[in-house]
Amino acid sequence: MPGIDECLLETMRLPGARGAALVDWTSGLALGTVGDPPGGDHETAAAETAELARLAAEQHAFGPGDDAGPADPPVEDVILSNRDSYHVLRFVPTSFDSSVVLYLWLGRSEGNLALARIRLGEMAERLVLA
Amino acid sequence: MTVVGTTPPPRLPVRHRTAAGERAPGGLSPMLTRLAHERATGVLVREHGTLHLAEGRVVHAESPLAPGLDVLLTAHGALDPDTWRAAQDSADGGRLLHRGLTPGALEVAQVSALYDAAYFALAPSGTPGRFRYGRAHWLASVRPVPVAGLERETLRRRALLHRIWPDPATDGARLVRADPAAAPAVPSRQAAVLARVDGVRRAADIARELGRPAFHTLVHIRRLAAAGLVSPQTPPVGDHPPPDFADPCIALLKRVRDALEAL
Repeated sequence: MPGIDECLLETMRLPGARGAALVDWTSGLALGTVGDPPGGDHETAAAETAELARLAAEQHAFGPGDDAGPADPPVEDVILSNRDSYHVLRFVPTSFDSSVVLYLWLGRSEGNLALARIRLGEMAERLVLA
Repeated sequence: MTVVGTTPPPRLPVRHRTAAGERAPGGLSPMLTRLAHERATGVLVREHGTLHLAEGRVVHAESPLAPGLDVLLTAHGALDPDTWRAAQDSADGGRLLHRGLTPGALEVAQVSALYDAAYFALAPSGTPGRFRYGRAHWLASVRPVPVAGLERETLRRRALLHRIWPDPATDGARLVRADPAAAPAVPSRQAAVLARVDGVRRAADIARELGRPAFHTLVHIRRLAAAGLVSPQTPPVGDHPPPDFADPCIALLKRVRDALEAL
């Protein structure tokens, strides 16, 4: 069972991984960072990641259907792509009140988005669930 | 032809606030910066909270305005109160891990609680800080944080609150609901805060009841205030006004006084 740094280093082993971070999406705090930050600065990148995560988590339209019952967080992940890279945000469910996402910046030509999404989900669970 | 010109007076030096902030991000507490340089171990007691240092890095923080790590972990059943007490009494952080809490979860909770309490501990204060050299805190090994990073984050947090809604009155005052005719939809985390606004509770009370970091609650309340759903109760005569954390002028004056007293 890993701590924050081990989890981020494991994330960086994914093919095409450029940088990763654990970000609190309410405050914009980077709880841990590894590799290169998109935009050149980890703290700014964390604040911008937090803003994207918050928008996704707080909109009613993006949550599960009413039959599925309330979920916290209501969103599993956010995937954003551009010409040369992917940005993948995975919401981390914790047994206490927190608002944390695992963030991965992935090179588009070397990265495998489907694999990265699955592995991020597994790592988010292993980070906080016993 | 003679030109009689008077030399213009030299320009007064102007301290540009943002440039100064970038140049010296460690300006929040000169004493803390000095302690970081000398790699001190002990406890820094300030007016609104306490910072625990080990070898110049901040390893734990507490504030009466922020729920402690124990509250964050026990409020939602991540940890039972007896396990916390046993770990605290034996000063053994490892005991927390044997009861279903992963190292990752403990680190997330500890760092959240640390930055949260430090935000208040580093607020402008009316009295100078006192440092007591001593042994490291029992949770010192969980996830130490460098002083410069902590001060930068605290400044960023002040700016974040100011950007959401510039009036700091809701941070410390009793809160009342505004209930406008056409209320906007409120996201669930803000709704949990709004449901506890009753004219008596303050932000710190709501954070403790929800088992949620106090700064998160301040963020939610400022968003609710910006939406016109929550407002600070005007204090009755005799009630002390809430501590003013965000006014940069007062903050600057208090820092100057702290620095003079620390000489």
